[in-house]
Amino acid sequence: MYTARANRLTPYMFMAPAAVIMAIALLYPLGYMVWGSFRDWNPSQTIGEAEFVGLKNYITLFYDPAFRESLGVTLTFASVVVVAEMVIGVGLALLLDRNIRGMSVLRTLFILPMMIAPVVVGLMWRYMYHPTVGTFNRTLESLGLPKVDWLGDHALMSVIIADIWQWTPFIFILALAALQSLPRSALEAARIDGATAWQQIVHIKIPLMMPVLIVTALLRLIDAFKVLEVILVMTEGGPGLSTEILALRISRTATEFRELGVAAAMSNYLLMLLLILTVGMFAVTKLQEARAARLARQVQEDT
Amino acid sequence: MLKILKTAGLATALMTTTAMAAGHGGPYAEYAGTTLVVNFPAHPHYNAAIKVLPEFTKETGIEVEVDQLPYLKMRERQTLELAQDEGEYDLISYVVFSKADYVFADQLENLAKYFMNPKLSDPSYDANDLIDGYVQNIGVAGGQKGYLPGPTGSLFGIPFGSETSVLAYRKDIFEKHGIAEPETYDQLLEAACKIPEVEPGMGGMASRAASGHQASHAFLLHLAPLGGRVFDDNWKPIINNAAGVEAANALKTIVDCGPEGAMSFGPAEAANSFANGESAMFMDSIAFMPGFENPDRSKVVGKVGYAMHPKGVRRGSQTGGFGIAIPKNAENKEAAFLLMQWLTSKKGDLMVAMEGGNPSRFSTYQDAGLNEKFPFSATFGEALKYADPDWRPIIPTWGKINADIGTTMSKVLTEGLDIQEALDGVAERAEAIMSDAGYYTWQ
Amino acid sequence: MQYDRQNPAFYALLVALIFMAVGPIVLMFANSFKLDVDIISGSSGLLFLPTIQNYETALCDILWYEPDHLDFCALKFGGAFINSLIIALVSTVLTLVIGCMAAYALVRFRFMGRDTASLTTLLVRMVPPAVLLVPVFGLWNNEFCLDKDGLIGGYIRDTFGGRGDVCLAGTHSGIILIYVAMNLPFVIWILQSFIVQVPRSLEEAAKVDGAGPFQVFFQIVLPLIKPGLAAAAIFTFRIAWNEYLLASALSDRNTKTVPILIVNNTSEFNVEWGVIMATGMLLAIPPIIFTLFASRQIITGMTAGAVKG
Repeated sequence: MYTARANRLTPYMFMAPAAVIMAIALLYPLGYMVWGSFRDWNPSQTIGEAEFVGLKNYITLFYDPAFRESLGVTLTFASVVVVAEMVIGVGLALLLDRNIRGMSVLRTLFILPMMIAPVVVGLMWRYMYHPTVGTFNRTLESLGLPKVDWLGDHALMSVIIADIWQWTPFIFILALAALQSLPRSALEAARIDGATAWQQIVHIKIPLMMPVLIVTALLRLIDAFKVLEVILVMTEGGPGLSTEILALRISRTATEFRELGVAAAMSNYLLMLLLILTVGMFAVTKLQEARAARLARQVQEDT
Repeated sequence: MLKILKTAGLATALMTTTAMAAGHGGPYAEYAGTTLVVNFPAHPHYNAAIKVLPEFTKETGIEVEVDQLPYLKMRERQTLELAQDEGEYDLISYVVFSKADYVFADQLENLAKYFMNPKLSDPSYDANDLIDGYVQNIGVAGGQKGYLPGPTGSLFGIPFGSETSVLAYRKDIFEKHGIAEPETYDQLLEAACKIPEVEPGMGGMASRAASGHQASHAFLLHLAPLGGRVFDDNWKPIINNAAGVEAANALKTIVDCGPEGAMSFGPAEAANSFANGESAMFMDSIAFMPGFENPDRSKVVGKVGYAMHPKGVRRGSQTGGFGIAIPKNAENKEAAFLLMQWLTSKKGDLMVAMEGGNPSRFSTYQDAGLNEKFPFSATFGEALKYADPDWRPIIPTWGKINADIGTTMSKVLTEGLDIQEALDGVAERAEAIMSDAGYYTWQ
Repeated sequence: MQYDRQNPAFYALLVALIFMAVGPIVLMFANSFKLDVDIISGSSGLLFLPTIQNYETALCDILWYEPDHLDFCALKFGGAFINSLIIALVSTVLTLVIGCMAAYALVRFRFMGRDTASLTTLLVRMVPPAVLLVPVFGLWNNEFCLDKDGLIGGYIRDTFGGRGDVCLAGTHSGIILIYVAMNLPFVIWILQSFIVQVPRSLEEAAKVDGAGPFQVFFQIVLPLIKPGLAAAAIFTFRIAWNEYLLASALSDRNTKTVPILIVNNTSEFNVEWGVIMATGMLLAIPPIIFTLFASRQIITGMTAGAVKG
């Protein structure tokens, strides 16, 4: 019916649109960025007009205390956020992994925060954190407690709380799904052996969930590096540089300081960091898959 | 906007018929029906200007479409737009510190040829009536140091929505506790810290302090009157001398004695804090002041006294705000000039001022009707005499240095960074930037 | 279905969690019906006289009447809303069609370059939008342009007006292109796990009946992966609808989207809380509707995206 030739071409025809779009709108821009990062380039020039300066942008950044601080803020933000969300999310999942009325309502309402625009999330929290008008300080005041300068003295913490609010549900839902797909037989066996609830969690549930949890954590970690709008709306990176994460600094360098070359070099640093994380994720996943398979086999053999 | 356009369209139709009936075209006839695209900032003055634009359309038949953006965004947009071969905007409003960038990149029309053109230039314009300090600071480039007035300068823009700083204070609170209107910086700082003690829950003075441009602005506001400058005459940074430290100390004192959450205030938050009665003083641009007399937005109507920017070792209030200019890549330059001239004419200036804008003309400040509507107009006119065009350098490298001052100042305020150390750092980095940009070539 | 009986403490916890998740949203909803005076003066709680004035201010450019409290219409929310809608819908449809085809090829065919394609897809998934800002800004403004005197460029200028060379920046298509590219890796990833589950026997049967590969794809495979498509559609729509950074770099005065409008209005002279909350609420409504009606698909999509490491 078809010639062999047409058959060979079919997959390419299916792939072609995606390949073309990703090539011109993702890969080419990334290459363009690397090229631009070696130039002293401002927004009113085309890249051809910009002067080639070699590695200067990278070196300047490396010794730039503001960049280092911003990198520090990014790493702190990402790690605190991921750890806190994992602990709370998995904790809640373990606690609520029961067949109770209202679970589906909870799950539906729980996804709301992450579906809403980051811009709007930033807006809501900026209002709630407002020093005088905001919900938190009003509540504190009516309880007779001293007010807190949320977005001033404790800006990074406040930003982290907002992110935890938005993204803990993500981890909760994935952890819950993982829990509910655990092999019942293993849990039954443990219960028959007289394991307490705590022992079940530590020795059976968590190890079996591990592969999913690690992937979830890494996905969240990579996403945490993408956060920008929430912080932009809440603090615009301030006070000082205390909440200026790298994504925000890239955007400010490009638009406010008008240094596209430096911004490109900064983007490259960020990309390298993420590349390392992604490769790490791959390695860990493969390792875990192998281990989980072994574990599952063992459990199967035991029963 | 749609509504404006609709009425504008109707007015055009009316105008063309009347013009034709009258038999002669007048200066505007040739351009009737043109649509100008203008780029204005979201700012009280320009809100006032937008309210009078329908009047312009009615009179001239030229339609105006406004693209209004927050002023820092506006600058980003213009950076891009002005670099094109053909731009969207016929008339732009620019922040005063953009002057250097745009003129240096040859992106603005020199206005001489328009004022020379008898068909365009209105003989009753009376340029002498324009406030000289503003014209020099905002419109003229190429004089002394490149941004100050001088024989080699020429005109690229006209001040529109230009501002200086004044002090707004709560008359009632000051009277209640027997505090005098602050004349000097010492009195100002004393009052700022006394108020939270005698009036619990109320901050002394609301000031900008948010990281970046705002903190830098707040610092520079005190630097000039206290005798400091960012650079000396040879472009060497002297921001870290005694006056600089004093200015930073003043800012820190003000913020420490300020209202709740003062460290993250932008201008809007600071003005709101004063308008809500949470702070007893507010020293910033005159653009905010009409808002305090508006009962919809303010709880302190009628309780506010207005004074000149207090004196340190000298008087030196800020000069800032906006000018309007015609981009080199504009499509309808002549019509844009007509709009520019109309808005800054005696009549236009007064109309905008009556809607709550900031006058650019001496005659407007003396207008009886305006003084009746906004009682502080006289004080503002007085303050203008001391407006300091050199309170910040308007040079192409300023954006970067400004950002650095801003983040460093914010660190001083929030993280308790040592002031001398912080300013030394700023000076060192500024010198490197200036050196890179070639300011020491002749030394 | 029989529910287990549980300690009341669990229900208390459930209620607390729901309150925490939804509280801020309800608060914003309530505030969007308050006047600024009420928001600031702290007549807190739910006892206030609701007003739609904020919504009138926000939507003044598409209302058929002129609200009394406005001197002129500064906030052109209606136009931005339409831009957002066009951009989000078109990019979602395109992403789905293109992504589906690619996912199908990756799952069902062995071909040269398959592994490379698969790996690239995975890797570009991590690229943050901020990293794309600089190159996209430069390319869309300066490189991806048609000369205004050229054949197509001249035609576009004659038909649609505008000034200068015809560039991707400032057009709907420019923003759509980058959104499609950004979302493709994720969509391909998610759909792969759904396509794998389609029984091969069905496809074989269709082929025997004489259907070509495209017929098989559109008539057999697509209907079977509807749940996956729904999930992918919601996620793509969500990103395109909510994205701020790249849109703000690429849009001009006629192609602004809603998030840009909201950010622009948070940083200025008068923070008009009521109006901002109203615009925020309008932006949040479509995602909220999706969530309430399609939470099952969203959860399926989320698990499919993560579990298939």
